[in-house]
Amino acid sequence: MGGKVTCTLGEVKQRADFIIYWGGNPAECHPRHFTKYTIMQKSKFLPRGRKDRTMVLVDIRETKSAKAADIFLRIRPGKDFELITILRALIKGHPVGDDEIAETGLSREVIEDLISRMKGAKFGCLFFGMGLSMTRGKHMNSAALLYLTAEMNAFTKFVAMPMRGHGNVTGADVIMRWQTGFPFGISFNRGYPRYNPGEFSTVDVLVRGDCDAAFIIGADPGATMPQPAIDHLARIPTIVLDPHVTHTSRLARVHITTAPQVIAAPGTAYRMDELPMPLKPALKSPYPTDEEVVRRINEAIAKKPFWLPDGNQPQIVATK
Amino acid sequence: MSLQVIENATCTFCGCVCDDIELHHDEFRIHKAHHACVLGTAWFLNHTAEKKYPVALVDGREATLDEAIEAAATYLHEADMPLVYGMSNTTCEAQKECVALADQLGGLLDSHTSL
Ligand code: SF4
Repeated sequence: MGGKVTCTLGEVKQRADFIIYWGGNPAECHPRHFTKYTIMQKSKFLPRGRKDRTMVLVDIRETKSAKAADIFLRIRPGKDFELITILRALIKGHPVGDDEIAETGLSREVIEDLISRMKGAKFGCLFFGMGLSMTRGKHMNSAALLYLTAEMNAFTKFVAMPMRGHGNVTGADVIMRWQTGFPFGISFNRGYPRYNPGEFSTVDVLVRGDCDAAFIIGADPGATMPQPAIDHLARIPTIVLDPHVTHTSRLARVHITTAPQVIAAPGTAYRMDELPMPLKPALKSPYPTDEEVVRRINEAIAKKPFWLPDGNQPQIVATK
Repeated sequence: MSLQVIENATCTFCGCVCDDIELHHDEFRIHKAHHACVLGTAWFLNHTAEKKYPVALVDGREATLDEAIEAAATYLHEADMPLVYGMSNTTCEAQKECVALADQLGGLLDSHTSL
């Protein structure tokens, strides 16, 4: 998501007086988000805390988070993109027909009230969750929302931030961007990184049966992927690194038990606003860490001939 | 036995990555996780330093770590198009090694984000 208008959670805590959660349920999925970073905190700029902040929740059903919201907007399922587009048009003063507005499940008054509040805010922040990015429209929804955020900056300060999920998924994005230039869906089969989600993304690769070995670390695709993908994982040699027995490790050829990160393995993890946080492990695990095992596999592979037909790694030749 | 306390520990169960958790542990099991929410507490208390599973399994049989590493390296090296996937529940240091692995193998690299 290059070019996204964003900030850290610290800034949200200090300054954001208008907060929208779109397609997420922080009360149940990110329980301390409200109290630690967003609506409940008092700060120099918002001394009255909750009273100085307005929170809007946009979702297709009334979740537990709706109780915490000042305004709950219930929209029709799959109409996120339409609503974002209507908002983008209306904030710039373009006309929008009644039929289009009715389609989203909201009334014109509600949308106009939302827009005046957005424009009237000193510092607005839009958090978007899987309800936006994993439903009809997928990444087009996220892109539209990021455009809306960028365009809001013609009127006031506005930022957006994805509500990233469990574990260190943000770290995976950051590390892959740092090392390869791309966040996910990468192929090295030409010797340099290429990016093409849909072709190189795991579900598609597995369903088509394109890979002939799999190395799974810190994930359990055997529990989340569609059945044809799981069948392919069972067919090919699968190697799993996990502290526990998982659905995937049951069908794997090789399972190496590793120390659970955070609890027993030291290192770094990224917060959802892409801030690296050091880990402080409490326990000493009898198992090796992920890092150590992957490094040793790397070393073992380096001793074998390189995969090019002549067995040699390409060399950079100096020219005069 | 008195419990040891770790202050300002980090929880990574969700994207909030709270770094103000106070853990009380006896080197074997975490007994208390102050400041953590219900999800975080359950997660901390669920893990132990016990040796519950064998170090490694190769084709369903128990193996040593060295054997398992060699088996993994052989399978991955023999494959024409190996896939490196996951990296959600692991540290950035291990993720960097995974990128190096995919690079060295000339394979595919992907995370949970692409789902
Ligand atoms: S303590 Fe709760 S809110 Fe904080 S990172 Fe852990 S699970 Fe998330």
